[in-house]
Amino acid sequence: MVAPLIIWFLISLISLSTGDYNSVINFFSKPLFLFLTIILLITGFFHAKIGLSEIYEDYIQDEKIKNVANLLTFLLSIIIPSITIILLLYKF
Amino acid sequence: MNDSKNPLSPHLQIYRWQVSSLVSITHRITGILNLLGLIFICAWISSAGIGENFFESLSVFLKSFIGKFILIGFTWSMSYHLLSGIRHFFWDLGYGYEIKTANLSGIIVIIGSLFLTIILWMFGKELI
Repeated sequence: MVAPLIIWFLISLISLSTGDYNSVINFFSKPLFLFLTIILLITGFFHAKIGLSEIYEDYIQDEKIKNVANLLTFLLSIIIPSITIILLLYKF
Repeated sequence: MNDSKNPLSPHLQIYRWQVSSLVSITHRITGILNLLGLIFICAWISSAGIGENFFESLSVFLKSFIGKFILIGFTWSMSYHLLSGIRHFFWDLGYGYEIKTANLSGIIVIIGSLFLTIILWMFGKELI
């Protein structure tokens, strides 16, 4: 389901990386691209949080440290995409 | 009997490398790399939202040799994690558990991720 989204995201990233400021502004002024980027950020960080928790489960033995790591990961996985999305919506 | 000096198992250093273990650990490593890449992209997008000056400084980095290297590495990392994820999806559906099939799908993931990276860059370049 997410495969086409990832492919779209990577191709956009490659083409935008060589472009200038205006090409990025043009990109995000398209509502569909803005929407897809927001979906990608939310699902991406959600997936990362679940994946990291799985890794902590295998490599961190101390329960307390594991809980702290999980809490920090949870907070960051919400804060980082939120700031980006708010800035995107504010600007475009 | 003192067995405290016995090695714990399975220890990665003494474990014989196989396709299955290589693909598995690479899936984890690429997953972490993808997160780092995603965080950088968030900073990049945010900088465009803040102002042109902030954006330009990050863009200069992306257009440098190291930036290009990281970008290609990130595309490969994403391609790999995507294909390996599809492999996991088939396992979840109950297919591909035979050793021969698992080894073959592992090799397909490794080679396929390289091909996908090349195809993506060919496509991405076309759009500019």
